[in-house]
Formats: sequence, structure tokens, C-alpha cells
Amino acid sequence: MPGKSPWKVAATATAVVLLAAGCSSGSSDDTEVLPNSISIGIAEPTSLVPSNSIETSGSQVLASLFYPLVRFDAKSNPYPVAAQSITHDKANRVWTIRLKPGFTFSNGEPVVADNYLDAWNYGAYGPNGQLASYFFQRIDGFADLQAKDPDDGGPEKAPEPKAKKLRGLKKVNNLTFTVTLTEGFAGWQSVMGYDAFFPLPKAAFSGDGVLNKDFGEAPIGNGPFKMKGTWQHDEKIVVEKVADFKGTIPKVSGITWKIYQDLGAQYADLVGGNLDIETKIPIENLASASSDLGTRLARTPSSSFSFVGFPMYDDKYKNPDVRRALSMAINRQEMTDQVFLGSEQPATSFVSPQVAGARPNSCGQWCEYNPTRAKQLYTAANGPRDIKISYNTDGGHKAWVDAMCNQIKASLAVNCTGVGLPKLKDLLAKVRAKEDVGLIRLGWAMDYPLMESYLGPLYTSDGSSNYYGYNNTTFDSLVRQGSAAPTVAQSQKLWNEAEDQLVRDMPVLPLRFGQNVFGYSEKVTDVTMDLFGKVDIYAVDIAG
Amino acid sequence: MSDLNAVTTAEAPGPAPDRPRRANRSLAGDAWADLRTSKVFWIAAALVVIVVLMAAWPSLFTSADPRDCLLGRKDAGASGGAIFGFDFQGCDVYAKTVYGARDSVLVALCATLIAGVIGVLVGLAAGYFGGWLDAVLSRFVDIMLGIPFLLGAIVLAKRLSSNPESNGVLAVIVTLGVLGWTTAARVMRSAVISAKGQDYVAAARMLGAGPGRLMFRHVLPNAISPVIVVLTILLGINIAGEATLSYLGVGLKGDAVSWGIAIAETGPYARTAAAPLVWPSVFLAATVLAFIMLGDAIRDAFDPRLR
Repeated sequence: MPGKSPWKVAATATAVVLLAAGCSSGSSDDTEVLPNSISIGIAEPTSLVPSNSIETSGSQVLASLFYPLVRFDAKSNPYPVAAQSITHDKANRVWTIRLKPGFTFSNGEPVVADNYLDAWNYGAYGPNGQLASYFFQRIDGFADLQAKDPDDGGPEKAPEPKAKKLRGLKKVNNLTFTVTLTEGFAGWQSVMGYDAFFPLPKAAFSGDGVLNKDFGEAPIGNGPFKMKGTWQHDEKIVVEKVADFKGTIPKVSGITWKIYQDLGAQYADLVGGNLDIETKIPIENLASASSDLGTRLARTPSSSFSFVGFPMYDDKYKNPDVRRALSMAINRQEMTDQVFLGSEQPATSFVSPQVAGARPNSCGQWCEYNPTRAKQLYTAANGPRDIKISYNTDGGHKAWVDAMCNQIKASLAVNCTGVGLPKLKDLLAKVRAKEDVGLIRLGWAMDYPLMESYLGPLYTSDGSSNYYGYNNTTFDSLVRQGSAAPTVAQSQKLWNEAEDQLVRDMPVLPLRFGQNVFGYSEKVTDVTMDLFGKVDIYAVDIAG
Repeated sequence: MSDLNAVTTAEAPGPAPDRPRRANRSLAGDAWADLRTSKVFWIAAALVVIVVLMAAWPSLFTSADPRDCLLGRKDAGASGGAIFGFDFQGCDVYAKTVYGARDSVLVALCATLIAGVIGVLVGLAAGYFGGWLDAVLSRFVDIMLGIPFLLGAIVLAKRLSSNPESNGVLAVIVTLGVLGWTTAARVMRSAVISAKGQDYVAAARMLGAGPGRLMFRHVLPNAISPVIVVLTILLGINIAGEATLSYLGVGLKGDAVSWGIAIAETGPYARTAAAPLVWPSVFLAATVLAFIMLGDAIRDAFDPRLR
């Protein structure tokens, strides 16, 4: 048959290529392990540009490459780290940041005020499309950096924004700059602990306000570690210690961030001794994890908050008694014990009690399991006979949604089904179209450790993640007053009052607060994780 | 006489009507006489009857509701009617397994019917008319056979079951039906080719019968038995196919109860609670095996070369 031989050649060639690829991926690790270095499992980060990082994996790597202005103590109060001092005027509007002298980037450049201004201006400039740019929106002049699309997503191109630099940022001298906010905000110091506020070196920019295209492949930071080589996508990111770093010096000499697609595979590597730290033990492995890992399985609180929202456009759930009855029909403790095997905690408040100022149990009787009372209330309020809970199937939510439905069925004697949609964005599209989705599964992790980081985005009428459309003017103004209060203590008082309003309205059912359930190998010790779900890279040490 | 040792993979040829017969029996009568003495047939038939009963009247087997789940009973052992214990959601594993038969059998039956209708029509047309139509249809069958089953099924099922509130039954039926008819068409074609050369067909044609009458009255009845064998086996394969698709998350979903879903859901917990995974798997394997054994037994009975 003519033409047969070229195919054969091609097939053989493919086989050889596959074989070669198969050989190269396995053996590379052994040759370049630094002494005293450790490995930590992550997922593939979306970006390593600080102002574009909004997920834990990228944030975790950036925490090793950069040194933040502030870090947080055990009570989640901020203290300066790269900053010498952070002061503010009486109205909490103008903040003055003095930097510690003598710090350098890993390429040798000294860290100066301009590095912060450049980075923040880049992050806030709308056309750069940085995912974390909303962190800058409190800074005066942020609106001028955003382009307004004249036809709202139509074909016409948006005009250039009015300004390229934030009006609210001013350099005082080489080590001092001021930040002016649009309105006073007592918690601004905490906000500046986020990745988006890291400085960028001059070397990161190829022109004024133009970031090098491949900066994110090998970021240059002011932190205790620097990149060794570049980001090997879907494989690993290797960082090594910076010689004579001026800040807190970590105890390990290097970290290999191993990238995994699958938590189960990561767990197998941890047990097999090929990985030192797994930051999230999959639920399926939890039952066997204590025997696999013994004391090397640990739990610390995290900021994550799981809840279901009631779509406010749906009349079925309009009566607050229906929402309260559903809340009392759920046995949160049983759910966390049986489905999550204790890896999460029952939530009985709308703000994580780990955040400074927040109270545990603010939801009170409405979040207690009380099926008899729930049934009475539900029957009296004439609640719907069919309940749906919509969730996204890519996040492992099916098991607990099914369990929650079974609890509702048992307590209220109504029908309940879980409706799985492929992705969260499919679910949100249906909510935007005001379709009949029933209860909406949602989750939240704070951006900065302030009560406002829960109250603002989740429940204010213009909140970025208020998908269910809760709208209460009293609540809105309490949150706003709290943000503008002169001291953090006064803010917290007002925010607590705002939370009380939520208890009266029950716009969502609080379900669970997360925990970091992590495991580590015999090689490492002193492994701790913070509220943001990140390993403390300064504390971790080699065992023995 | 046939037993398991006599099972061969030879393709079933068409019946041979001019073969010398024992005492006035039809081909089917011969086959039945063979089947009656086959142990494999009786075992398979008994299993099939049980599964079909389970699918039609699950309440005969259990009084528990498979959707009545209480977290408090999670992973509890056997008690009362729940002879297989409870799964990680606190559902009765036995009740879920019994009720799981319904969707599994229903899906497989409908999918096999679709495959059978398409396969018989395509095979009959290709075999009877021959020529360019046969060339086109046969190449089309080759192309369909070239599609990797799982890949094609995942793509198709995913597209068809995009509505999150459907339980996916229709999507899986169409998927398995549309992808499963090729073998039936091939067997049908070869059986038709051998049947249409027979004398009685020529006789009927000389008496003035048209192609429709010839095809459906004379050729089809004499060529259908190997296809029935293929379809019986396909029924078993389709049950396994439904479980596979459900396991991969593109099959049955929502509040459907099926073995595939049960296996997918309990698989991750197998290390701590094996029973909720083992029982649906055993029922699935036994059912698939029963249909395949039944198909084999019938084929052996119909195949004159094995006599």
C-alpha cells in the first residue's frame, strides 16, 4: 500500500518523543535539591505578578519572594514589617508610610518609595487588567484610572482613562510616601498587608508604567527568598534564600513549590515522602490521615466561610421566618463531623470569629439545630414544599449539599434536591438572570483581617460578592460608619451592630468556617498556617 | 449441546434453512432444545429475571426508601432491613442497590432498542441492496467504529445533558444508542447477504414480490437471530456503559439512583467503608455477566457449526 511507510516513521517518531518526555519528567528533582530545602505542594498559580494574584497558590509563592509592609499577629492585628512606621491623620484619610532603610531587591536594587508608587499605580491602572486592582479603590483618584466603556461591552473601544497615576499617592522622600484615601478608613493598615501592595523593582518595568512581559515568570522581590530559574509551569517553582537578608530570616535555605493538579496525588506524595508539606488534606483521605501521619496532621483556623444565600428576587424565601426555619433545620455540627470529619467548624455567625473584634455565636438561636421549632415556624410561614440548592460541581460540594438536603427533608418533611452546575460562573449567570435556582452555594475568604472584609463585599447593597441581592440601608450605613470611625475599636463596635442587623434579616445561612487541615513529612517541623491558608515560611524548620 | 468450553469467538453466520433437520423442528425449536439443557443459560436467565424484577418492582425486595438518608447513621453496619449497612450519607446501601437496578436496566434496554433499530435497518439496506449503498453504509460503519467509545460517549453525553435539572436518563440512552449500533449492523449485513442468496428468496422474487416484501417477509426473519444474540450481549455492555458514564460524571445525575453513581460517590471512601462500594459493584458485574452469558448461550444454540 503506497504511503504506508511515512505513517510508520511518524508513529515511531511520536513514540520516541513520548518516551523521551516520560523519562525527563521523573528524574529532574533529585539533582537540584538544595541542602536544608523543603517542598510544599500548591496548585498551578494563575499569576505571579503581585497585583494580579488573587488565589492562595500564587499568593503563597509571592509571600516567599516579597516582604510585606505589615504582617499580622495571632489576634490578626497588623504590625509593620518592611515599614518602619505607618501613621495616619485624625480622619484616617492621609496615611504616612516610612520604610526601613537598607532593604534591597534580590537583584541588588535598593527598595525606595518609588518602587511602591510604581507598583501600585500599575496595579490600579484599569487597562492593565490586574485582578487585584480593587484593593486600590479606596485610594484617591482610583476612578480616574479606570476606562469607562461607552457602550457597556459593545464593539466601541473604551477611551484612555483620565489619569495614569493615582492622585492619592505622594512621595515625600526616598523612604517615605503618603497615601490619601477618598474617605477615612480606620482599617487601611490591614489592607496594605495584601500581595497587591508589594513593591516592584525598576527592573520590572520596560518603560513608564509598562511591566516587562515575562516579569511574572521570574519575579524579582524584596523578600527573604529569590527565584532559582523561572516558573516551570505545571511542574514547580524553586526559590532559594537571599544572602544577608535584612528582615526576619527564614530557617530553611530554599523552598520547592511543587505544582499538582490533584490533591489526592499530592497526598500520595506526602505519605510516600516525596513532598514535605501538603496544605490541604483531601476529605476522602482524612479518615486514614491520622493513622498515616500521626502527629504530623495538624489543624489551624482559616478565614474561609461557607454559606448558602437566598435569592432576594425569589418570593418563596421572602418571609424571614422561612429563612430562619431552614437555618434551624440544619444540623451544622453533624455536617462538619460526618461529612467534613471535623476539618471544618460549624458557623454560627456571619463574620469569622478569628477576625479581630468579631464575636462567636452572633447568630444565636437561629443557627442552633432545632427541628421541632423549625417545623412549626416553617409551617406557620407556609414555606415552599420543594427546595433546591444549586451548587457548582467542580468544587467537591455534592457530598455536603446532599447531606444538607437530607437534613432539611428530615426536619421539615419537604422535598429537597441539589442541582449541580459545572462551574460557579454558570450558577452566577443564572442568578443574574433571576432564574429559579433555589438556595445558592457560596464561599468567601477574607482579603484582609477586618470584619469589614466580610460585611462589605458579602452583604452591602453594592458589595462585590452580594450575588443574592441583599439590600438594607441601615446595614449599609452602619458598615460605612464603621469604616470611617476614628479608631479600630469604634469601627468594630459599629460593625458588630451591622452584623446584628444581618441576624434579624438572615439573608444567608451561615454553615461552616474552614480550617487549614495540613500534613507534613518527618523532615520538617514547626509547620504553621495562617488565616489566609498560607504556610508560615519564617517559622518552618528542618527537623532534628 | 453446548457448554462453556464450546464458546468460540466465531462470528455467527446466517441460518442454513436447507440443513437436514431433526423431527420437523424449526431453527428456533432446535435452539430451544439446545438451550434447555444448557446450565449456563439457566443461571444467566435466572439472574436476568431477578434483575428485571428488581427494576420493575423494587418494593418486592426492600421496604426502605433509597432517598431516606440520615447523617447520624453514617457508615453504620447492617441492621434490620439494611442488610448491607449504610453509606457515608447514611443511606441504606441495600435499598440504593435494589433501586439502582431500575435506571440501569431502563437505560440499557432503551439504548439497546435504539441501537437495534438503527443496526438492523442499516445492515438490512447494506446487505440487501449491495453496490454503492453497501459501500457507503459500510464505510460509515467503519468510521463509527473508528470513534473511540469513551471519547465519543463523553463528548456526546456532556452535550446532551447540559440541563442541570434533568437526571440525564435521556442523554445516556441516546448516547449509548447512537454509539452502539455498529456491530449489530455488521452482523445484520453479513446475515442478510447469506440469506438473500437462498432459493426461497429467489422463488419469492420470481413470484413477483417487491423489495420491501422480500426484505421484511423473507430475508429479515431468517437473518435476525444472530442480531438478537449481538443485542443481548450489547444489553450487558450498555449497563456497564451507563455505569461508566455515571462514574465519570456525565451520565445519570441529580436524584437518579444508579449503580454507576453509587460507585462514583463511594469510591473515594473505600479505604474506610468498603461495603457501599462493593455491593453496587457486585450487582453491576453480576448483571453484565448475566446478559453476556445469556447472549453467548443463545448464540451457541443458534450456531449450527457448534452442534
